[in-house]
Amino acid sequence: MALNRQGGTIAALAGGWAERKERVTGSGRVRGVVRADLEVIFRRDYPLVVGVAARVMGSQDQAEDVAQEVFLAFGRTSVPAGEARGWLSVAAAHTALNLLRSGRRRTAREETTAAADRTVVSDVAEAVVTRDDRLRVRAALARLPRKHAIALVLRHSGLTYAEVAAALGLSPGSVGTTVRRAESTLRKELNRHASSD
Amino acid sequence: MRHPTEGVLRRLLDEPAGVATADRRHVATCDECGQHLASIREDADVVHASLATGSRAGADVGPAWQRLSSAASTAGATPLWRAGPRGARARTSLRRPVAATVAVAMALTGAGVAAANDWFQIFRTERIAPVSFSAADLNALPDLRRYGEVALTGRPDVHPVAGRAAAEAETGLDVPAVTHLPRGVRSEPTYQVGGEATVTFTFSAHRAAQAAAAAGKPLPPPPSGMDGSQVRLVAGPGAAALWQKSGVPVLVVGRAVAPRAFSSSGVPFETMRDYLLSLPGLPENVAAQLRTFNADGSTLPLPVPTDRITTSSAQVGGEPATVLATRDRSLAAVTWVQDGLVTVVAGTLDSDEVLSVARGLR
Repeated sequence: MALNRQGGTIAALAGGWAERKERVTGSGRVRGVVRADLEVIFRRDYPLVVGVAARVMGSQDQAEDVAQEVFLAFGRTSVPAGEARGWLSVAAAHTALNLLRSGRRRTAREETTAAADRTVVSDVAEAVVTRDDRLRVRAALARLPRKHAIALVLRHSGLTYAEVAAALGLSPGSVGTTVRRAESTLRKELNRHASSD
Repeated sequence: MRHPTEGVLRRLLDEPAGVATADRRHVATCDECGQHLASIREDADVVHASLATGSRAGADVGPAWQRLSSAASTAGATPLWRAGPRGARARTSLRRPVAATVAVAMALTGAGVAAANDWFQIFRTERIAPVSFSAADLNALPDLRRYGEVALTGRPDVHPVAGRAAAEAETGLDVPAVTHLPRGVRSEPTYQVGGEATVTFTFSAHRAAQAAAAAGKPLPPPPSGMDGSQVRLVAGPGAAALWQKSGVPVLVVGRAVAPRAFSSSGVPFETMRDYLLSLPGLPENVAAQLRTFNADGSTLPLPVPTDRITTSSAQVGGEPATVLATRDRSLAAVTWVQDGLVTVVAGTLDSDEVLSVARGLR
């Protein structure tokens, strides 16, 4: 599985985040031991983590792979449980964006799944979004400044402004600006292609 | 007045309560901002639709957990968790959302401190059932009614009693006594008690099919025995002490038997939950609740409206507790579960003060 090649990335991310927090908490990162509350947090936050990754990847199967990797990394950290949701969301977005940026092609099975998924989209706004739009948005997402892309994905995955701010070290007041800039860039990307079609 | 920034307008779409009143008022009366807001909304909607995956409702957590367990084991880790029945530590952790439920329902939904006056009713009456399934506005009961019958089969009969001893006698609970009242809180409290409340949800394949048809989708085939299956939610009994100042409640200390859920007939609750999650058109807020709802009653989560409330962790009597405070610092609550009892301390106080009261209970 190509995801395994990304293991170093998530571990580095997890390490960096954990170090930042642990300077505050004074707790050490436990290597080789899986945290005792992993199952509780997994069952609580797995759908969220898959949702974050799926918004980046556009594929449920790939998102589930990303979630596995993220929780494996999380299991070896001592990130406080109360901060797990933010940590996991950021890690999922980072990992998925790395994969997106690496341009790994989806398998035929995943393409089929994605196509089938699109048939159940019901929202009025979604009805006018074409498959090409989705691909273009994701390509543009990979080109955004990383923090902008993650703030955007986290917000559209249901995290509140306060949660996004805490997870990314932003002030709550700047989350709206960051998300807005990202949306504006992505919309321009869509309009540019629409006018050239 | 200057126009609010784009960032403020963007937040106005998602979390209007997080935007300053002056900015909200300005936008409401400013045509230029109104047009700008509409444009921002359109961008947000299109991007949201573009990022949507239309993915299968509800990730399949069980198999995913098994996969992670085996991956962690083969990676040479030392698993400290069990994939089967949860250990005592896990149960303790799982109880905290219950506490959040009660605290939010009690003190922080509705009209702020006025809700404290009605907390027992909110917690005890039929509104506790939609709380367990739905969003913070307590109005999602109709959402589940689309999929079956929701019936209040027990009423709590909340009423005042003469004092602490009477409250204990009527509920069978040890009603906590406050040893140190916060500054400014005086006088004797009044006491209220309530009995056990029960809400039953009965799944109806017919109704679910109608709901699916309304969403333009076929109904996924229900598991065998699903039609007519019931889940029962039971809350209480409980008791509360209320301190008032000039007729306004300033401190509430309550204790109740933590809410429980039972699958009373038909398929196990987890089966019902997973099936409900697969239904087309299930509102995301209901889905989010169902995903973390466990049949053993160890969790009864309620989304905390984080635009208005901050949460943090603390310890009370050796138990993990959740501290909730409104962002304007007008109201705080601390709540925890111990031995199947949920205790709440809330008031027009700051977090340190409610924690001080909580830690001084006996």
